Amino acid sequence: MQALPTAASARAHARPPKVVGWLLLAPLLVWLAAFVVLPLLVLLVYSFCQRDDLGRVVFSFTWENYERVFSPLYLRILGRSIGYAGLTTIICLVIGFPVAWFIARQTPARRNRLLLLVMIPFWTNFLIRTYAWIVILKGEGLLNALLQYGRIIAEPIELLYTPFAVLTGLVYAYLPFMILPIYVSAEKVDGSLVEAAHDLGAGPLRAFSSVIIPLTQPGILAGVLLVFVPAIGMFAITDLMGGAQVPLIGNVIQNQFLRARNWPFGAALGVVFTLLFVVTYALAQRRRRRHA
Amino acid sequence: MKIIPCLRILTLTVLCACAVPLRAADQELNLFAWSEYVPQGVLEAFEEETGITVNYETFASGEEMLAKLIAGGTAYDLIQPPDYIAEALIKNRLLLPVDFAQVPNFRHILAEYKGMPHDPEQKFTVPYMTGTVGIVVNTERIKTPIRGVKDLFSPQHKGRIVVVDDGRELVTAALYVLGHPLNNITPETLEQTRPLLAEWFNLIKLFDSDSPKTALLNGDVDLGYVWGGEAAALWNEDRKFQYVLPAEGAHLFVDVLAIPVGAKNLQAAHAFLDFVLRPEVSRQISDEFPYTNPNGEARKLLTDAQRANPASYPPARPLDTFRHLGDTGALIDELVTDLKNAR
Repeated sequence: MQALPTAASARAHARPPKVVGWLLLAPLLVWLAAFVVLPLLVLLVYSFCQRDDLGRVVFSFTWENYERVFSPLYLRILGRSIGYAGLTTIICLVIGFPVAWFIARQTPARRNRLLLLVMIPFWTNFLIRTYAWIVILKGEGLLNALLQYGRIIAEPIELLYTPFAVLTGLVYAYLPFMILPIYVSAEKVDGSLVEAAHDLGAGPLRAFSSVIIPLTQPGILAGVLLVFVPAIGMFAITDLMGGAQVPLIGNVIQNQFLRARNWPFGAALGVVFTLLFVVTYALAQRRRRRHA
Repeated sequence: MKIIPCLRILTLTVLCACAVPLRAADQELNLFAWSEYVPQGVLEAFEEETGITVNYETFASGEEMLAKLIAGGTAYDLIQPPDYIAEALIKNRLLLPVDFAQVPNFRHILAEYKGMPHDPEQKFTVPYMTGTVGIVVNTERIKTPIRGVKDLFSPQHKGRIVVVDDGRELVTAALYVLGHPLNNITPETLEQTRPLLAEWFNLIKLFDSDSPKTALLNGDVDLGYVWGGEAAALWNEDRKFQYVLPAEGAHLFVDVLAIPVGAKNLQAAHAFLDFVLRPEVSRQISDEFPYTNPNGEARKLLTDAQRANPASYPPARPLDTFRHLGDTGALIDELVTDLKNAR
């Protein structure tokens, strides 16, 4: 976003797209139409439908699904999901920013090696990594054994199937999505700008808040979006590490499509959920444009 | 790779050409069954004997199976619904009748598992495995006697309980305690179970339908309200895990095999039905997944230890079965979501 060409340079390159341009774009457009626009339309239509006793969608119009979405029960679940996702994002940012900054300040060869370390977890399947956490956190697990061996605790403490376990799982799963975009921004920051700030009398805090943060802001925003959006809809971690005790919005939606077989209600939840993101994103964009 | 579709078109042409459904032997079988329920060895033996390739796709709950079946996509040849889902499918004309002339081994099924309420005319389904839902007690940790659901959900066991993550099973347990028949699920009876379930939910540590035995084995919990087969596997692992059929009431579940409308490989489906009903094959399934085997001849082949497993073969007593609920399934889901949310 930072690297967007200025208006003048853009004008020099910009020509009306020709046939070749459209042809090159065609695969993407077809993909978007088939796998984004069409499913969203299906979701929208379903959300106004009813179901029969087997769970098949019956095409007769109703507002009922939306009334249910905005009942206190589901609003509270949505609120809790936003809370979990928000907390995850903050923790990821606090942990991820220094890591990204540190990596970006290394020599290119070391940078690549460190980035590789960030990516290595992706080589293993997500579920297997989650099960590994279960082995670590369970009552007679590695962490408890270690703490008991070190005589830090006398009795095993409950770690698994708690909100702590859910947060651990979420932060672990999404941390790389925070580090990578911040790294991309941080890598481009000219070190002399930070030095200039120091020369002009800024302390480390001032240099950080007035120079580093504004320069890496696009990366931070991208990271926040990349963590917050998927974290809010996550259901596997809450089931596996939270013991399915407390429902988050992702679990509720999943249940509508499988267990409860209430697709229209699931669709209504999905539509509201999608709209929520679109509106938030649009507001953020507008604010940014006004700032610029 | 390209030959197979061509062959299929050819078969189709032949099929259309003759009025009599004469056709070449089926090449494959699309089986849609529970995860952890059909041993790999059984599938391989079937493939080797018949030359039919089995595509085994799995689901984790009867509801999930129904959702995917109705959504379409794959044309399954054989599905494995629980009894009450099979009943719903029969009522909605979504199952093809089984040609029992092609399944001679069906005679091994014990009389009590034939013509059950979900398929009273015994036309559409073949029982695969059956079982109960009951209480597992880690007797090394829990010294107080546990006889029923009331003893299980006692405040002294707070945080030491795993239950199946299945709304209907939990509601049924509450209905038993309140003295209602298990299929009497209406908005009114559901409302009556609410305070009781709310109390229980505060004591539960973990909701897990896929593998509730894991938390018990790991020592994270000491008590469970779980599938009989899971309890049987625990008992095989360590005799400290005792199985108790709840005093308030217990029900029998029957997982059946059935052929859905739209199945393409009918011959392969029937061949597989007959294959798994062979006593020695059925015994092999019991070896791996110790549920209650409805196959009388296969039971005779089991070891004494297998037959003595209290979770596989609990003391005989009259047990009800689940019936198709219609619309109330969604009400159960809302109640359970609401209660979990209130914790």
